[in-house]
Amino acid sequence: MDKALLRRGLYAIAALIVVALAVGLYKAKTDAARAEARVRDLQRQIEHSEADLRALRAEIAALESPARIEALAQDRLGVAAGGESAVLPESALQQRLPPPQRQERSQ
Amino acid sequence: MKPFGAALLSPREPLPETFAEAAPARNRVRILAVAVFAVLLLLAGRAVQLAFSGDPLAEPRRSTTIASTPRADVVDRNGVLLATTVRAYALTAAPARVWNAAETADALRRLFPDLDRAATVRRLSDATRQLVFLRRGLSEDERAQVHALGLAGIGFEPEDRRIYPHGAMAAHVLGFTDVDLNPLAGVERGLDAQIRAAGEAGRPVRLSLDVRLQYALESELDAAARAAGASGAAGVLLDGRTGEALALASWPRFDPNEPGSAGADARRDRVAGDVHELGSTIKPFTVAMALQEEATSAGELFDLSQPFSIDGSLIEDHETVRGLASLRDILAQSSNIGAARLALRLGGARQRAYLERLGLTQASRLELGFNQAPLAPHARSRRDVAGLGFGYGLAATPAALAGAYTVFANEGRLVAPTLIARAPDAEIERRQVFSPQVTRQVLAYLRAAVINGTGRAADVPGLAVAGKTGTAEKLDEESYDESRNFSSFAGVFPAHDPRYVIVIALDDTGEGAAGGMVAAPVVARTLRRIAPMLGLRVEPAAAAR
Repeated sequence: MDKALLRRGLYAIAALIVVALAVGLYKAKTDAARAEARVRDLQRQIEHSEADLRALRAEIAALESPARIEALAQDRLGVAAGGESAVLPESALQQRLPPPQRQERSQ
Repeated sequence: MKPFGAALLSPREPLPETFAEAAPARNRVRILAVAVFAVLLLLAGRAVQLAFSGDPLAEPRRSTTIASTPRADVVDRNGVLLATTVRAYALTAAPARVWNAAETADALRRLFPDLDRAATVRRLSDATRQLVFLRRGLSEDERAQVHALGLAGIGFEPEDRRIYPHGAMAAHVLGFTDVDLNPLAGVERGLDAQIRAAGEAGRPVRLSLDVRLQYALESELDAAARAAGASGAAGVLLDGRTGEALALASWPRFDPNEPGSAGADARRDRVAGDVHELGSTIKPFTVAMALQEEATSAGELFDLSQPFSIDGSLIEDHETVRGLASLRDILAQSSNIGAARLALRLGGARQRAYLERLGLTQASRLELGFNQAPLAPHARSRRDVAGLGFGYGLAATPAALAGAYTVFANEGRLVAPTLIARAPDAEIERRQVFSPQVTRQVLAYLRAAVINGTGRAADVPGLAVAGKTGTAEKLDEESYDESRNFSSFAGVFPAHDPRYVIVIALDDTGEGAAGGMVAAPVVARTLRRIAPMLGLRVEPAAAAR
């Protein structure tokens, strides 16, 4: 093959590679920036979710606090901690806690 | 057809005169082209690598712990949340953008009545500053309320806030931080490094406390302290075998979510931050020391009917012990005379050595922000030695007393109390103070003190409690005041195989409010509540008698 033709061919291939690389680089950078933004967004969402989760766990802990449970037990069931009312025979459970009723599904 | 390139270099054409010079130039161009090609190939290869494997430089960033917080959650031994860090907001203002400082301040005060109007107006009008902070630690709801006001120049800065979901429960143990999360008290301060490190790692710090036991102890202590008109009270429940503090109660209480709203007195930790002369709860150690040093024997009988004077001080019993008394009677009847005689037989040096080994002469090592050192001067006279025998001349914390009582749960070996939950297979450091035989002997006397001695009110049918009451008159200026007492009970249970240590102390109870009358009943009520949680059986109260 003629050397000049070979050289031109090589130039053409090199030019093609350059163009492909330029396009590829642009796309890669665009994709990377998009991915970076997505990662940041996800990171923010995770941080928000983590913060919400911590707040919810704190709320659960407050709701399950022994002081609150005791007050509720006293108010709604008449059961005082450490009192005689806390010791119920099995038969009394039926009277205190009626069996769950079947819930009619609302239309 | 000739190739185009060959035609150009046809021999018919004359060779350029500069051919010899052009050849190296062409070579350079070729070398350059090859170099550019190589660089392009490298770039292409790198692009392919990135496309298939991702950016290796980005790896460390991706591995950053998402759940990390500046301070870790603190949980109890069962994982119940005790302290956490939540998202909060600082209320800020850009003075240059505030239209009307007075109206803005008034609007904010409708939401936050405790906001100082004059100071707020002054800050909102301070044109020299770009941003001023008006309030810290706003919740999500408060932020929304302020936002709804639509005030110009008012904004928010996100920040972290430390909250304690159980409010006042275990407040003295947990302590609190300032608005910048700097630790100020409790384990927040005592375990600061661990809490920060655990926060970085995204894991909680697990304490030895059990919120169920903590709540039961606190509520019983609260009721008793109010009923007795005490100025303060402390309660300690330890797993005596491991030293783990299962519950530490201090009264009066405060809410660590708003520490500023409580007085210094309420914030004072009575468990490890307050020292008192302990009174007769020391006597079991005096008896144990005497037995250990063979200064007496289990069979010896004492005549305790006559008070005796030493260095000008009269040592007498609250109620005279008639007839010949044994060591058992000395503890059951809480005889000062008997304990003083035993202490004098021991002598100051040996007594001091035992007190040191019991940890009563050094500050506790609980992981709190502050452990008060005891007031433990060396005995300088026989009177001092005798007084130490029944609990005067040595002021220590209830935590230290509880730590000393662990000898009865470990066959004479002492375990240091801790607030950190231990692993089941953790190695525990135990220091032998008394022999197992001596410990068992004294334990039997302590059980007798509860069955038919001064500690009867601490008895819980079905749960063998062994312990000793204490009533120490408080030192008022230079003399002891009979009308002001430090009333306590210290003991272990179940007596046949002691595992748990309990100490209840009420400060500044009135005249006649002996430990057996005001502190021992608290023990019984608390144990009734917590025994099932500890897997221990008690007889129902109705069937007790």
